[in-house]
Amino acid sequence: MGTGKEVRLSKVFDPGDGRAVVVAADHGMMLGPIQGVVDLEKTLRRVVEGKPDAVLLSPGQAENAYHLFKGRRAPALLVRVDWTNTFRDRTYTLPVRETFFGAVSDPRHALKLGAQAAVTYLFLGYEDEEREARHLSLVSEYAAECARVELPLIVEPIPLGPRVTKANSAELVAIAARVAVEAGADALKVPYTGDPESFSKVVRAAAGVPVLVLGGYRALSRRDMLEVIVETIEVGGSGVVFGRNVVQSQDPASVLKDLRAIVHEGRPVREVLAGGAAPKRAKLEAQPERCSGCLICVSICSFRHEGVRDASAGRLRVEGAWPGPYELAVCTQCGNCVGACPNGALSANPSLGCIDWEEAKCDLCGACAEACPQGVVKLQGSKVKICDLCGGAPECVDWCPRGALAVVPG
Amino acid sequence: MKGRGYAGKILRLDLPEARCSVEDLEEGEARLFLGGKGLGARMLYGNLEPRVDPLSGGNILIFATSPLTGTIAPTGNRFCVVTKSPLTGTFLDSHCGGSFGVGLKEAGFDAIAISGAAEELSLLVLEDGKASLVGARNLEGMTTLETEKRVKEELGAGFKVACIGPAGERGALIAGIFSDMRAAGRGGAGAVMGSKRLKAIAARGKERVRVSDPEAFEKAAWRAHRMVRMHEVTARHLPTYGSDNILETINETGALPTRNFQEGTFESASEISGAEWRKELWVRDSGCMMCPISCAKVAKVEGGPSGASFTEGPDYESIWALGALCGVSDKGAIARANLLCDLYGIDTISAGNAVAYAMECRERGLLKEEEVGNLDLRFGNGGAMLGLVEKVSRGEGLGKLLQSGVKRASEKLCEEKGDRAFLRLAMHVKGLELPGYDPRAAQGMGLGYATSDRGGCHLRGYTAGQELLGYGGGSNPRRTEGKARLVIERQNEKAVVDSSGICFYAFFAMTLKEVRAMLEAATGFEYGSERNLEKVGERIYNLTRLFNVREGFRSEDDALPERLLGEPMPSGPAKGMVANLGPMLKEYYRLRGWDEEGVPTKEKLEELGLA
Repeated sequence: MGTGKEVRLSKVFDPGDGRAVVVAADHGMMLGPIQGVVDLEKTLRRVVEGKPDAVLLSPGQAENAYHLFKGRRAPALLVRVDWTNTFRDRTYTLPVRETFFGAVSDPRHALKLGAQAAVTYLFLGYEDEEREARHLSLVSEYAAECARVELPLIVEPIPLGPRVTKANSAELVAIAARVAVEAGADALKVPYTGDPESFSKVVRAAAGVPVLVLGGYRALSRRDMLEVIVETIEVGGSGVVFGRNVVQSQDPASVLKDLRAIVHEGRPVREVLAGGAAPKRAKLEAQPERCSGCLICVSICSFRHEGVRDASAGRLRVEGAWPGPYELAVCTQCGNCVGACPNGALSANPSLGCIDWEEAKCDLCGACAEACPQGVVKLQGSKVKICDLCGGAPECVDWCPRGALAVVPG
Repeated sequence: MKGRGYAGKILRLDLPEARCSVEDLEEGEARLFLGGKGLGARMLYGNLEPRVDPLSGGNILIFATSPLTGTIAPTGNRFCVVTKSPLTGTFLDSHCGGSFGVGLKEAGFDAIAISGAAEELSLLVLEDGKASLVGARNLEGMTTLETEKRVKEELGAGFKVACIGPAGERGALIAGIFSDMRAAGRGGAGAVMGSKRLKAIAARGKERVRVSDPEAFEKAAWRAHRMVRMHEVTARHLPTYGSDNILETINETGALPTRNFQEGTFESASEISGAEWRKELWVRDSGCMMCPISCAKVAKVEGGPSGASFTEGPDYESIWALGALCGVSDKGAIARANLLCDLYGIDTISAGNAVAYAMECRERGLLKEEEVGNLDLRFGNGGAMLGLVEKVSRGEGLGKLLQSGVKRASEKLCEEKGDRAFLRLAMHVKGLELPGYDPRAAQGMGLGYATSDRGGCHLRGYTAGQELLGYGGGSNPRRTEGKARLVIERQNEKAVVDSSGICFYAFFAMTLKEVRAMLEAATGFEYGSERNLEKVGERIYNLTRLFNVREGFRSEDDALPERLLGEPMPSGPAKGMVANLGPMLKEYYRLRGWDEEGVPTKEKLEELGLA
């Protein structure tokens, strides 16, 4: 790598830790005006406030939004030099029938636009191997040109096409990553392979070239999103290129703050989610109208506390039968159980606010369960079961796929 | 095997004496065949007399759960019914969500096998490892919804119920088994249950499913749930628009069978799209136990039978079969017809095909006005569709003929009237009515129908994801090259899913890696690699093939209806195409290690431990 490339890459990857938080906002070219990029200027202003290391744009938008990249503290600009129709799924007006790709810009043009790197796809896995070959030559042409002008090339190797199966897709990411490196990639942007073990193979295949993980479809939960990143960082990943998770967020700056905390500061997910503070008083809040009666919340509650799935042992309650609606009841920390206990075995936890049960003082009289207006305090066997907020991060909230449960300040 | 994801017991019940025997689930069998489909296939192949009449006491009706049923795995709720199909004469596995599978397992059984027949209509009660048979004449003629409700009222809280409707009781060959308003719908398992004079099975128990390594299991299950929550199909399309999210796309690709497979595009497709149902009729999402997707919807129904005001779904296949296939775009009529099918207990795909078949016969003048009752059987007439579905549900008039499926109906009509045209209009493979993807517009689906172990089914070699929906970069639907391999992979994979206890839809977001991680943490078995798990699927698919071979099925039966092979698609994106089955089938047999008659070779069986 020449000095020009090295200088430019250091604007993207923090020279201190070698990692990067990149925001992709080039969706318009592939998908049209999707949510978050319609008023790109407005979105980008908010993105920039969140201090990403770099932002990926299409050539046209790079020209429009160049002013946001001026200044010493501004993020680096990355420019996409190719195009594909493949991500237009059937929800778009012109859904993809067959994957195609093509050049829309070139490294010299990107350089003129102020880019610190050019970005291109590399698809592997066609039935039609000739198309694979064409894509590889396009990427190689980019690489050669990038080498001439000392512009780093970030390649996005993606297994795609009928020969890609569930069984081979993780392996193909590693193979495609290696092909990209051999073709001259200076950094990679790859899809998550699903688990750290297979991702570590991708990192190994990249042989020292930094590997960024892409976000893909927008995650519904912050924990889901951050965990994936931690799993890649732990096995040698160099950060993220996140698009919809940032640009479609209500608060891009807060997402970026969390991404930086994970990528650059290496902080644990739990701590980041808690905003860095010690666990505070909290309680559960239920939105029964979102509940579909799947029982995941009560099931994980019982599994976590008893080691088996037993909906009746959950510290919260879902009732109702087809066709619904469903009643979803949680501990409101009303204190009725505390008042009803003749032995002082129950008390409010001073830091979290949930109700603590002292087994030694309890004679299993059941007055607490009877007093609970929500029906979520249970006397089963020789145990009183009350929501303990899982120590501050309730599992039911994280497992609910429908946002029917939330943690609110107590 | 108890404590390792399994209940550890198998119940055999021989009617009418209600002699029960309980035996241990063998570890070796569990490892080789997992549960569900695999375990059921093993039990059926090993115990059924060849060529037995499916509706005789000699047939065996199996309900099987799987290692992930009743755990915290995403969609870990499934059970399946395995028997010899009275509709096709082939192996039949029919799967169902809801919560009955969990009840059955918590009652202490991985599987139950019922042979013989009761003397009177009965209810089988399974509780805490014990079985008892009680008379159920009070349930006679009752709809599925009423039956479940009544049984739960009579037996008490916590019972999970699977039952048949009036159609199953009278032996309608397209009758299914129902639970929680969901169905093990295809292939006539309801008729087999009816022939055993069994109206319902109720199950509950104090046992909870324990897994081998709870910590590893929670980790694996969390990862699998997370993948479902982060995948566009399982986190957005299916939860928002149900399985009907695909209808407009299938129409755009020219693969939406319309007016009894005469065309591949439906001009009113947008009126029955998931978005329209969401806007107008769906009032709620309904989740099977442990399902993070909730593809099921609850639709309101005006003036439903027996005062019912809601119907489950309808799902894509039901909307298509009762809708586009009959040329109908009236959502109210589709919803009512769907409810009728569910209440009387028949399969919506077969019912829709039966109506479309009759409509085409009528439009072509093969059936006369007086032969179709007072129904104005024209394509597009929602009222007539609903009227005929009601007749099929009740087994009245023309419905009496059609409740045996289009194969038998067409054969009977052909024989009576001496006109082969009746046969040409019947859209089925091996007697199972075809689902909602036209093979002329998706070649791989045609191969999947032809080689499915239960006849014309889309859920064995589901290549539509790649061919029509663009998943994984897509696969050209018009090409036949490479489709044999694609179908085999899908079939093997699906056999693993169907034997694990999870739903196919959750698998959209997952790979076998996540399934393996959960299975291994649950059972303590070491499969070592995804490839080895695929081998389990291959073993199961070869076993069901052996079953069908033993029943006399050969290569000539791995066919498609004449219309799909010989009548070019008249319009739409697939215009001019026919299903080019021959070359794909040949390659399929070769890659499967089956001979040219479609019989597994000795080498293949030895390799799979089935010799």
